[in-house]
Amino acid sequence: MSRLFHIGLNDIRLVFRDKSSYFWLFAMPLAFAYFMSFTSRAPSEAENARPEIYVENLDTGFLSLLFLETLGQEGVRPVGEDRKEDAKRGITIPVDFTDSILSKKQSVFEAYKMEGIDDARSMLVEVSLFRAAVAFNGYLVEHATAYGADMPIVEEALKEVMLRDNPVRLEARFAGRKPIPVGMNQSLPGNLVTYLLLNLMVFGGASIANERRAGILRRLSISPIGRVELLGGKLFGLMLLACVQIAVFMILGQFAFGVNMGDQAPAIALLLLVFSWVGASSGLLIGFLIKSEEKVVGLSLMIALPMGAMGGDLLPVNRAI
Amino acid sequence: MSLLKTESLSKRFGELLAVDGVSFEVNEGEIYGLLGPNGAGKTTTISMACGLLKADGGDVWINGSRFWSRPQEARQLMGVVPQDLALYEELSGRENLEFWGKVAGMSSREAKIRAVELLESLSLAERAGELVSKYSGGMKRRINLGCALMHRPKLILLDEPTVGIDPQARNKILEYIRELVKEGSGILYTTHYLEEAETLCDRIGIIDKGRLLTEGTLSELQKGVGHDQLFVLEGAFKDEVPEAWGDFSKSFRIIQRTDTQMTVATEGNGDPAEGLKKLLALPVRLQNVTLKRPSLNDAFLKLTGRDLRE
Repeated sequence: MSRLFHIGLNDIRLVFRDKSSYFWLFAMPLAFAYFMSFTSRAPSEAENARPEIYVENLDTGFLSLLFLETLGQEGVRPVGEDRKEDAKRGITIPVDFTDSILSKKQSVFEAYKMEGIDDARSMLVEVSLFRAAVAFNGYLVEHATAYGADMPIVEEALKEVMLRDNPVRLEARFAGRKPIPVGMNQSLPGNLVTYLLLNLMVFGGASIANERRAGILRRLSISPIGRVELLGGKLFGLMLLACVQIAVFMILGQFAFGVNMGDQAPAIALLLLVFSWVGASSGLLIGFLIKSEEKVVGLSLMIALPMGAMGGDLLPVNRAI
Repeated sequence: MSLLKTESLSKRFGELLAVDGVSFEVNEGEIYGLLGPNGAGKTTTISMACGLLKADGGDVWINGSRFWSRPQEARQLMGVVPQDLALYEELSGRENLEFWGKVAGMSSREAKIRAVELLESLSLAERAGELVSKYSGGMKRRINLGCALMHRPKLILLDEPTVGIDPQARNKILEYIRELVKEGSGILYTTHYLEEAETLCDRIGIIDKGRLLTEGTLSELQKGVGHDQLFVLEGAFKDEVPEAWGDFSKSFRIIQRTDTQMTVATEGNGDPAEGLKKLLALPVRLQNVTLKRPSLNDAFLKLTGRDLRE
């Protein structure tokens, strides 16, 4: 077993003895991430944060205005006729909205999908709409609890209730961070994933090709080391390399670029390690199949970069909602 | 005791029969030389002996056990020095030695101590910390040898370890190999240098076109040439017909002939002066006549009709 570690440690020593490795492992991906972050910065961030909802407010009372304020708190931007084409969903607040609620009757508003907007986008706004309705009902219940069920609802009192901190708060967010990370939040993890795959394939494949050319692989095969240990050692070395790259990117991302890693940084690291295992294995496979180092590098580029581009690592493929 | 034994080894590459029924043994404390020209099958034989290649026929025994029944244990007993250098040029000589020691199962501490010993023995201690890429060819050869010796193998397989280096570096390697034998190691040494085989090896096997033609000690092989006296004649022989030189064919036989040189042998161990007198009486102008002691090359010449140096 110790031979496995020696093989891996020797491989990583060889990588870091070559000065150009620092460029390909750190400088190049970080520079790429930095410049790519400009391409996905402003527009999508603003749009992501507050998708529009078209509001046809037939009510003139204060409760409909407070309801629209609640909608805003839930992350949607109520818009009128002038920006109707930007809206993902629409609602119509009935004319008797305030009166019905003040007289303790049910009021029903109509919500509908806007023309030309796909279901997914419309659905996401509907979630916010639903949450706003629940929150607004909560304010009314809290008002009744505080001032008595028989007391009329007063605008100032309801506003005061809305400003209070909730005793229990459910904070629900999209998995990860924002619905679509943008700027460095997108480009740094994206480039990490792409370059992780690329580097593992290149370093893994090229080291095997190089060792074959230098006769070292042949010598290893007649030394007292089993095939499993040899292969395991090579894999271990590449995984160590991946750990270094992941750690540097996560630490720099968090502290230098302010990338939000969320609450699940260890889980992200674990996922990246599993991904690295796939990349390292692919690198070894390529190295054992292809003899020339140049061809190994070429093939790795042909695999990793299109995968990064198609998978949304280099640029986000999702459009902002 | 036999450290390495091959039994009727054979290997074919397509149409080419590279090794054909080769059998020999290497014992403790002996250097067995496998001598043959380039392409004779020496490297293929050594590759089968160390398990790099699987033989098409025959078997290899290491220290009394069949190689392929316990290949890893067999490899633990042997150190192989490949003909081509197999070193990490980006590492220093010391780092290379330590790496191969650890691969052979030594602890870091053991590998460090052994590397220092070997660097001293191979006269490389002063440049131990330098990258191998900066070493001369001879120094690389010595480190290449050292890497195989890190785990103190009982059996050492050396595949032309001195090829392409200067005489001084070669002598250092040969000296060290002699020391290894004194410590009890058994060595299989392939070479196409006659002088190395003659001065270094206890027993020699002559291999050509994949077949082991003969084997024995140097004196046994020299005796195998017979008690003939060998004369090397120099002159212009291009248009000559030796059969037409009177009694030449009754007294001499031609071993080798070129346009300017002819090696001839007389039967028996009579007075060389008699042979010389007969040669000088031939109806051909000789520029020089040399009486020669039978060498390994003569043995090879007798067995194959070709010069080993060709």
